[in-house]
Parts: sequence; C-alpha cells; structure tokens
Amino acid sequence: MLDVDHMTVAIGDAILLADISLTVPAGETHVLLGPNGSGKSTFLSAIMGLEPFELTAGTIRFRGIDLAGLGVSERAQHGIGMAFQRPPSIEGVSVAEFAAAVGGADRLAHGAELLDLEAFVDRDVAVGFSGGEIKRWEVLKLFLQKPDFFLFDEPESGVDMEHISAVGMAINELVAEPGPDGAKRGALLITHTGLILDYVNADQAHIMNGGRIIHSGPPKELFAHIQASGYVAPG
Amino acid sequence: MTQADTTMAAELSAEEEAILKEVGYSDPTSRGATTVLVDHALRLTRSEHEGVEVMSIQDALMRYDWVQDLMFSLVEPDENELLRQASELLQDPIGHFLYVHPGAKVSAPLQSFTVMERPQERQFTHNITVIGEGADVEMISGSAVPARVHAGHHVSIEEAFIGKGARCRSISIEHWGSRMSVDSYARTKVDDGAEVTTNQIMLSSIKRSVSDTQMFIGADARCSDQAIIFAPSGTERVFNTQTTLLAPGARSESIARMVSAGGTITNNALLIGAAEHTNGFLGCDGLLLSSDGEITATPALRAKSAEAVLSHEASVGMIDRDKLTYLMASGLSEDRARDLIVQGFLSLKDDYIPAGLRQRVTEMIASAQSGGM
Repeated sequence: MLDVDHMTVAIGDAILLADISLTVPAGETHVLLGPNGSGKSTFLSAIMGLEPFELTAGTIRFRGIDLAGLGVSERAQHGIGMAFQRPPSIEGVSVAEFAAAVGGADRLAHGAELLDLEAFVDRDVAVGFSGGEIKRWEVLKLFLQKPDFFLFDEPESGVDMEHISAVGMAINELVAEPGPDGAKRGALLITHTGLILDYVNADQAHIMNGGRIIHSGPPKELFAHIQASGYVAPG
Repeated sequence: MTQADTTMAAELSAEEEAILKEVGYSDPTSRGATTVLVDHALRLTRSEHEGVEVMSIQDALMRYDWVQDLMFSLVEPDENELLRQASELLQDPIGHFLYVHPGAKVSAPLQSFTVMERPQERQFTHNITVIGEGADVEMISGSAVPARVHAGHHVSIEEAFIGKGARCRSISIEHWGSRMSVDSYARTKVDDGAEVTTNQIMLSSIKRSVSDTQMFIGADARCSDQAIIFAPSGTERVFNTQTTLLAPGARSESIARMVSAGGTITNNALLIGAAEHTNGFLGCDGLLLSSDGEITATPALRAKSAEAVLSHEASVGMIDRDKLTYLMASGLSEDRARDLIVQGFLSLKDDYIPAGLRQRVTEMIASAQSGGM
C-alpha cells in the first residue's frame, strides 16, 4: 500500500533521512520506534508532503502512485491522513464546522464519543486544548477525514492513562474498517513510550536511529528489546 | 398612535425585494416594523407592533416637537464640509424616524433599508432612532443597489438615542456598488443602564467608504460592537470610531476584524474613559490575504480619570502558513482552506449575527474573495 524506496529527505543542504526503504501492506499497522531526533516525525512529514522537507532521492508510492510532485492537498485527496504531533489552533472554526468542511459531519458523534470528546464539538479546533486533548482531537480528526492510510505521530504522548486505551481502540477501529470500495486501510504509527502498543493491533515495528531504519521485527518483542538495550539493532 | 397611522404600504418591486433579501430584508409581516428608503423617498414604512412608530423624518418633525431638538444634536453640521452641505440640503430631509415606546418589548426585529436605484445618484439621508426607556428591541438594517448601479455617492447621518435601561441589539449589512463612494456618520447616545450590541458587516467592493461612528455611553451602560470589514482589490475603507465612557460604570468592548484581499483598510479607533470606574477594550485584528493590500490599525486610548481601565490589542498579518497546510493535509483545497480560516478569523458563528444571516454572510465572503462582488 505504502512503498518507500531508498528515500532521502533534506532541508536545503542538510540531509535528515538517508536511503530509507519501508513497505506497509494494506491491512497492516506498522510502528516506528526511535529516540528523539532520530527522524521519525520527519519521515511522516515527508510522506505527507509537508514543508520544508524535500525528497532528494528515492520514491514514495501510495497504491502505486508516485507521490513526488504532489502537494499536501493532493496527497490527502489520494487517501493519506496524518495525526499531527503539534497541530495549529484554528480560531473561530469549531470542531463541528471542521467536520462539515471535510465532509465528516455524520461521523462526528461516534468519533467524539469513542474519544470522550463530546464536550468539544462546539469548541474551536485545538484552541485551549490540553496536550492530551490535542492528541485525542487529532485521532478524531482522522475519523472525520476518513483517509485510507493513517500517519500517527505519537498519538499517546501526553494522554492520560484512562484515555490511552480509547485512543488505541479508536486507531484499531479506523484501520480495521474497510474503505468505500472494500479495500483495506493501513497505518504507520510513531510511539515514544510504547504504551499504545498494549492497545493497538500492530503488525510490524521498525527502529529508526540517525535518520535510518536499522532493524524491523515484531512490535512487542522489539519494544522489549529497546527497553533492555536501547535503540540499537538486536545482536 | 395606531398601526395605521404609521403605515405607508407602497409595494416593493420583485427586484428590490431580491436585492434587499441579500442584506437581511424579510417580509414586513414577520418584522416588528419596516422602513425602506429608495433613492429620495421613503417607499415603505410599516409597524406591526403597537409600541413602535415608524414614519418619514418630515412627518416626525411635524408630529413631535421634540424631534427637532434631537436632529443634529449628536452630529455637528460644521464638523466638515460634507456635513455642512448635507445639513443645508436637508431643507426637506429624507430619512426615517423610528420610535420604540418606553417599556416596549418587541420580539420580532425592526428592519430598515436604503436602496439607490439611479446610477450616478447623489443621495443624502438622515435617520433618527429613539429607543424608549426600558424598551427591548433587535434591529436589522442594510443598504443595497441593483446590479446595474455601479457608481454614485451616498451620504448618511444616523442619530440614535437609547433610553435608560433599554436593550438594543443591531446588525447592519451594506452592499453598495463597486465604484460608489459612501460617507456615513453615526452617533449613538446610550443612557444610563442601557445595553447595546451592534454589528456592522461591510464586505462588498466599493470605491471608497468612510464610516465615522461615535458612541456616548452613560452610567452603568454597556456597549459591545463588532465590525467585520472586507476589502477586495480596488476597495478603500476608512473606519473611524470614537467611544466615550461618560459616567461611572460605563463599559464597552469594540472589536474590528478586517480582511484585505488587495484593498486598503484604515481603522482609527479611539476609546475615551471620561469618568472613574469605567472599563473599555478595543480590539483591532487584520488579516492580509495578499501583499497587494494594506491594513492600518490605530487603536488609541485616552483616560481622563485615574480609575478608568482601558486596554487594546491590535494585530495585522498574513494567513498563517501552518494553519493552511494543516487544513490542506485534512483534504481541503487551498481555496477552501483559506475560506475556512477567514471565516474563523471573522468569527461568523458569534451569537451576535442572527443565524439566518450567517450563511448569507459566509457566501458573501467566499464571493468577495473570488472577486464576485
């Protein structure tokens, strides 16, 4: 579904990610693990096409379509959606108005209930939200947008223990529901703490360090290894 | 005074009704009272409420001797050459007189509109509004021209007197021709304990519009006003406001939200705390959609008492690229994302704007951004 092949990403002359290859088949959820500054968020941003990241070598293909040259809107319209780590506040635009704008008004009530955000539907998007509320909102946003492939940037960071399970279950529901044409969805998820792994049905994990993917394997095993030995490839 | 005494029921044409509906007009039977001025004559005055009188200013001057004392009591004819000309031309003044009796509670809004149908017309109007002590009203006003009218000059004088303890919520929407010049002078005297909420919406293309507004607020009275100002390319808008907190307990909040899509907006706002225990706030926020436009926001505070609490905020900037990208990453086109940010910036969902008009204003913004107005 998502095929990243020998991708290099830079800002100007500074290379941030080098020669990365990763494939996420349809119906699977993959996890990226890595220390601060390892390039995980840059990787997701480059897939989404966010500025100022530039693809300087390699390819990113989504369902066979080369994303090079496609803007953020076009990538979103092709079915890629991203839960941002730090979304901007959109003053004057309520969650309900946002839902209507992206064509997801009919999904708002269910998503808000699942993420315990019913009281937020009339509030402006990300205005005055706490860190945990922002993360829950970003998952709710993807309920409204309903893309085919999900990019989650640390969805559990700052979320209280009571709500991490809700976030995990919401992610599972999003990925499990087939697309309008019956096609399977997929996801790539960054986690720092690993707490979300108790709730998300992840299929594969990758350790990223120094702008490279250094190892891939079963998520829980890999996370246990990291807890014991750090972000290094298992010997 | 009965309803029949204040009704002048000439029919509006279908075209007139259509253009007025764009700025908030509704069937007069659904409103507390209605006035429509077309070119140089009041075409329609009608009251549906026994506590509301509407009539031409000439009739009011003949009927109530106190009206002559109100006329030009808040506007000084010698203030500038335009007002001097207007005061001399008004031997036979054109405009409406709207009188809400003391204590009247009017649930249906009162509506008043001005239409200019003749191209290159020079129109002077003078309206007087009196809201009696303890009355409670909602008002909708607007101005409009048919699509064929592009050029002309409109000069208006509005004098409003809000009685003690009265409550008045108003919204005005203007839609003039793209090559017109408009000079409007509005003065409002708010008596002790009254509450006034005003909203002005100025979105259409216009060659030059100068709006000069002054409010004089009495003891324990509260005023909240919001202006939504849009300037497409080729439009110049000057928006001068002066709010004077005259007596202890007077409070005000004035917010101007300005969007330039290539046009020029100048906002000069002065807040005066003239007595102790007064409290006022000025907010001037500008959004530039293109670097061809210009917004100048000048909020000023003048305290005449050590116990006047006055504050202001002002900001002018371009659309935040991060917000635009975020919305585009949610699947919106760049144009739709810009529309949403602008609508949010203008806070169109505020309760100040009647729900029925909100959608229309949203459409006007989208149209104005695309050059359709």
